[in-house]
Amino acid sequence: MIIDKEKCITCGQCEVYCPVGAITIGDEYAEIDFDECTECYNCLRMAECPADAIYQQKLEWPRTVRSVLSDVLTIAPESGISGRGTEEMKTNEVTGRFKHGWAGVGIEVGRPTLGARFFDVEKIAMAMAKLGVEFEACNPTTSLMSDVKTGKFKDDVLNEKVLSAIIEFSVPLAKLDEVFVGLKEVSQRIETVFSLCVASRVAPDGNVPTHDVMRKSSIWFAPNGKTNVGLGRPMFKED
Amino acid sequence: MTHTLHRVGTPEALSRDYVLLFMPSKDINHVGSGPKLRQLLEISQKNGAIRIGDCRLGNEYYQGGVDKLLKNVEDRAVVHAVFNDPEKMTAALKEIKAAGLGLSVVVSGLFDNVRECCGKAGLTPHTVNNTLGRWGRTDRLPPQNVLELNTMCGHGMVTVKLIEDTAAKVKSGEMTAEQGAERLFKPCMCGIFNADRAAGLLKAMAAK
Repeated sequence: MIIDKEKCITCGQCEVYCPVGAITIGDEYAEIDFDECTECYNCLRMAECPADAIYQQKLEWPRTVRSVLSDVLTIAPESGISGRGTEEMKTNEVTGRFKHGWAGVGIEVGRPTLGARFFDVEKIAMAMAKLGVEFEACNPTTSLMSDVKTGKFKDDVLNEKVLSAIIEFSVPLAKLDEVFVGLKEVSQRIETVFSLCVASRVAPDGNVPTHDVMRKSSIWFAPNGKTNVGLGRPMFKED
Repeated sequence: MTHTLHRVGTPEALSRDYVLLFMPSKDINHVGSGPKLRQLLEISQKNGAIRIGDCRLGNEYYQGGVDKLLKNVEDRAVVHAVFNDPEKMTAALKEIKAAGLGLSVVVSGLFDNVRECCGKAGLTPHTVNNTLGRWGRTDRLPPQNVLELNTMCGHGMVTVKLIEDTAAKVKSGEMTAEQGAERLFKPCMCGIFNADRAAGLLKAMAAK
């Protein structure tokens, strides 16, 4: 996103809408730090610029990555839906993506508030790849990897900044504690944050098996979260 | 994984904050899902949802009104309804179950309360998603009260600066907490930002 210096009247309306603080208001015009801007469109959509000075420049690879993973209304070709993730557990009763005995893991790098560069996303993905996980193929973040076996990303995206990128995979429940150990280690080596989530089928007795793993591993989890109530049809039948 | 998860707050605040998400699954049941999604939103409205929203095309402000939002719902949309009262949400869930539309429904909120609502509505939880909080450079994050507001828009469009600016305007009397909450709601394109809860948080920030 760019602000036309000739048109800008330095009213400052746009500044508060940048989620990564990339807009500065100078004496003569406002400016967007092009390297920090994630192309989320929030300033263009919300600031109601009275001078019509904000505009979207033509996006070309690899900068297009920023828009896909930062603008809510951009449809990712891999998932076919808006947003940065996939259907994940939201449609699990019809897709069977997460089966009994497995956990779905989502590592949303950059969320909340900080954003992320892909060199940090890569560090986490490579740490997880060492555990032998298979990254979710429909996820737009996975599509940016040059090697899904190692979690290596394409070199030209490594410095791209996005509001968040979601590393997504499934692991057998028995392996979930190894994921936590790996994430604790790599979380010390990144410059941003990630929001972590773990999904699983509810057992027939109402127990949530991932909860036992998290308690044993002394991993905190919140009292709130998401519950798929199983109304989608046709229902997936596990073997 | 995912925009309605990772909401930060005290159990008391979260007890008045629920999001219903409705969506079809690609290549399984998405064809013809638009009218069903619209019906799910209408059922939610009838039962007291405080907001409805559409991830695919934007919130009610962006689309020019609730009527347009409802009219524009497409196949493959992901739509939402926000509730601040578990009893009203339970009533909506009962009617949704009875409607038998066959699309996926996900409830975000305090698990204990959601389980109780599901029980009353005759629903059995199928899959759950837990948030394990924030890892890494958490020292760089804003304070808890700002995070509570920011995380109600899972895509991060309700920015820290907008929150701080709005809180200052409420404190100075330039706008009411309700007007401030509405200002914060607007960038949340999915419409899942709970403006009722936000007004309470802004009042508390202004009182400090």
